[in-house]
Amino acid sequence: MRTFKFKVITPDKILFDGEAEQVIVRTTEGDVGILAGHENYVANLPPGVLKINLAGGEVKYAAIAGGFLKVSYENITRIITTAAEWGEDIDTIWANRSREDALNKIKQAKTDSEMSRAELKLKRALNRIQVSSLQKH
Amino acid sequence: MASGNMKDIKRRIKSIESTMQITKAMQLVSSSKFRKAKEKADTAMPFFNTVYETMCEIASEDRFFNSVYVRGNESDTTLMIVIAGDRGLAGGYNSNVIKLALSRMEQNGGNTVLIPIGKKASEFFSKRNFKILRSYENIGETMTIYEAMDISEIITDSYNKHKSIGRVEIVFTDYISPLVQEARYISVIPLDKISGDSPKSVTRYEPSAGEVFNSLVPKYIAGLIYGAVVCSFASEQASRRNAMENASDNAEEMIDNLSLIYNRARQSAITQEITEIVGGAEAQE
Repeated sequence: MRTFKFKVITPDKILFDGEAEQVIVRTTEGDVGILAGHENYVANLPPGVLKINLAGGEVKYAAIAGGFLKVSYENITRIITTAAEWGEDIDTIWANRSREDALNKIKQAKTDSEMSRAELKLKRALNRIQVSSLQKH
Repeated sequence: MASGNMKDIKRRIKSIESTMQITKAMQLVSSSKFRKAKEKADTAMPFFNTVYETMCEIASEDRFFNSVYVRGNESDTTLMIVIAGDRGLAGGYNSNVIKLALSRMEQNGGNTVLIPIGKKASEFFSKRNFKILRSYENIGETMTIYEAMDISEIITDSYNKHKSIGRVEIVFTDYISPLVQEARYISVIPLDKISGDSPKSVTRYEPSAGEVFNSLVPKYIAGLIYGAVVCSFASEQASRRNAMENASDNAEEMIDNLSLIYNRARQSAITQEITEIVGGAEAQE
């Protein structure tokens, strides 16, 4: 299968920079799969799972914390996100703790913005827990 | 009294030496902190560049595109983010930024609200009763994108929902070279100057170009704030390193001068003693 250049960019590091066969990610409109030769495309990404099929059949999962996907034809496909982490690197104990923390915050939230922030935190924590379990199987 | 004078000089040399030890240590600490901050600023560049590039593409591609961030709202209040250090002893670093902020305020006219970042900035403006929206201290070194996102959220909320601000400016210190740092300001919103080359091919946006653009703006602001804070921190360390290097050099010069005076005093004391002994011996004969 043809491969294409793919990058995952966050402010503090470049998580992935290499060739991929297929990239599957959830946008605000639904799941999309990107193959080589995809049309120019930009979409918003909520916190979610990123799945990369590498040449040679290896599959990698990463948790991303919201951002956007940018595909330029014959160029590079990029995911720009505020935070990204490989499934194998996720500390599940830490992720579970931040889930508990987020649940507590939801219980105690008084204002709308506190509530939405806590919800976002919970989403991120759940996402990381899910990604780390995906990588193990 | 030669011996009393000598004691004084000795004491002064000692005190300058211990000051020099401090300035040397601070110089070393600053250079290592500076290197780290520089690295951090460099790694943030690809993120920020891609966000900005995409925004320019959307603005140039879509003719019907009309975002509140480009159009501006009617408020005449300027929000100014002033980034200074948490500590002094960094040459003109803190005062240069604050000076520029004050002169920008005069030029802008209208009302100004502030978000000072860094202890020196927040102390300066709160003492003088400026209107402060929120202040942040001790975040320069450990700055993360999440903190920048929080600040960005405050800004977009007051711009969009409350319409309490109409312009946003960042005043920070740009790092030009290890010896040159310059206080600068950048205008954040409205994005009236945004544009790009006309696109080569059409891009599909989901859900829509406008929505993608509006969701990019907070990231763009956060990226700018993050970059400005990290860049200012690098400048602060570079500026402190220079100040401390000068201080160490001056201390060395003072010690050299004082040692010369000390040796002269010692020599003349010895000469005097010899003359006294010789004089005494001659008198006895």
